[in-house]
Amino acid sequence: MMVDSSMTETAKASQRAGPSYAGWIGKLVNSPLYAATIGLVANSRMARLGLLLAIPLIWIIGLHIGPIYQMARISVMDNYPPSAEGAVYTLDNYRLFFREPLYFMPFLRSIIFAVCVTATTLIVVYPVAYYVAKVVKPENRTRALLLLLTPFWAGELIRTFSVIMFLANRGAVNVFLREIGLIDRPIILLYNYFSLSFGVIYLISLFMLLPLYSAIEKIPTSLVDAAADLGAGPWQRFRRVILPLSKDGIISGCSLVYLTSIGVFAAPLLLGGPNSTIFPEIIASLFHGSSDKWPEGAAFSMLMLAVSLSTVGLFMRVVGGRSVKLM
Amino acid sequence: MRSYFSDIPKTALQASYWLFVIYLLLPLALMMAISFKDANFVAFPIDKWTLKWYAQVLQDRQFLEACLYSIFIALMTTLFATIVGVWIALLISTEGMIARSVIFALACLPAVVPGLINAISMRIFIRVLDIPTGTGAIILGHTVHAVPFVVIMVLTRLRSMPNNLVDAARDLGADSFVAFMRVTLPYLAPALAGGMVFCVLTSIDDFVRTFFLGGYQTTLPMLIFAKVQGGMSPEINAMATLVLIVTAAIGLYAEHLTRRSRTR
Repeated sequence: MMVDSSMTETAKASQRAGPSYAGWIGKLVNSPLYAATIGLVANSRMARLGLLLAIPLIWIIGLHIGPIYQMARISVMDNYPPSAEGAVYTLDNYRLFFREPLYFMPFLRSIIFAVCVTATTLIVVYPVAYYVAKVVKPENRTRALLLLLTPFWAGELIRTFSVIMFLANRGAVNVFLREIGLIDRPIILLYNYFSLSFGVIYLISLFMLLPLYSAIEKIPTSLVDAAADLGAGPWQRFRRVILPLSKDGIISGCSLVYLTSIGVFAAPLLLGGPNSTIFPEIIASLFHGSSDKWPEGAAFSMLMLAVSLSTVGLFMRVVGGRSVKLM
Repeated sequence: MRSYFSDIPKTALQASYWLFVIYLLLPLALMMAISFKDANFVAFPIDKWTLKWYAQVLQDRQFLEACLYSIFIALMTTLFATIVGVWIALLISTEGMIARSVIFALACLPAVVPGLINAISMRIFIRVLDIPTGTGAIILGHTVHAVPFVVIMVLTRLRSMPNNLVDAARDLGADSFVAFMRVTLPYLAPALAGGMVFCVLTSIDDFVRTFFLGGYQTTLPMLIFAKVQGGMSPEINAMATLVLIVTAAIGLYAEHLTRRSRTR
């Protein structure tokens, strides 16, 4: 009864004295249904809060946490779908991982591979980011950056494909080396760790470039000049001034590259060989093969998630202290 | 003497930049070059040039259908991700909201979980809920992945928005919905444009989620993946070149838009 009367009052009020708007918003605002709804929301703090909270909370709890929760639940089941007698909860799937080198070794390889890729990317990209942020004149900076950004608008698979053609036995590199007479028969560049690292760095160096660039750009040039005036050589200036001040960029760049390179999937399938099987392929085979091994796959995914996130956490703690944000 | 030595680091930096640019551009440029090669196998050198691969690709029904399907998924993803992302960003930016940093961290969760794990957890999730694999599942997976990026972009823009704009609108008689539609939303427009282009491009590009969540209909990356695994032909190069030009143009245009709005 209370709600009813307040509704009609607001409805009347908005028809009497409310401002008028052009376009579809005006039509919407004048409709009685809208007036009733807005009246309900405007007069109740709870309703307003509920409207603001409902969709985000449902979305985050349901779709951000839900899938990971389900993955965790299935990883401790003995069978999925559970047998007729009901699910049996067990830790066998996790034990299997540590007992079986067939799973354990690719996992280690994956982690080591991701660490190496991250370190290489940092070393390769740092001078490039520094050059664009500090050496290039400000008016040319956008152009210099765009030249680096453009290739990344091409998709993941297209870039992987172009790397294949670049490194293949009759690809660009081999043909070029044979033309200038350095080699007689092609060097095998494809389907091994070299092609895999080449391709993965090719795919993800942007994630290193952008954080590094924005961190280095913020360093005041006066600090570097002051160090030079006080007699610091180029190496000392880099080691004592520039490197510490670009720490935030290094941390977020390394975290992003590490997390992405540990989860790359298409590139290993296309660029890796039988000797460079890394963990993602193993996990995928547990879901996509003829044999249904979902609980094992879920357990391995949980392990990979835990290890990759905790590595990043540890790295942030060790290098950056406490107050670091990923993005 | 001194200036000679101080030039060395600068020259080295410049060299590293140009080497890196060559590293990024050369494979793509050569891939494009082969799309004009008049021979059935993919190899260097190129002796005869042709446009026939482009003609073949543009008549390829499978390719055109995959394009349309990918675009449809990307647009639906963008629509949902924008609505949900803006909503979450508004919630986080509300004054006095409890546990803001927790909500923010959870909203960003799908962006920090490695892609493969994200895809697998969604695959398990939809099976538990009995949602069939296919178009709906792909859109759901892509949307979950895109939401954090929209949230981050919108939040960055909201932080720079003066509080009194909305207050003024309310004082002038606008209710909260009208104030949102007529004040907040236009202010967010550049961030939204950037976020939407980002959603479209990541969705069109996505392979791993579609691989696990997809049904029988192939998206563009799935088609290219199948063709690359099936054997090389300059037809794939022509296909990839066409896709690359379109996505790069969209990306550059978006870059141009956001840059202009920033300097204005």
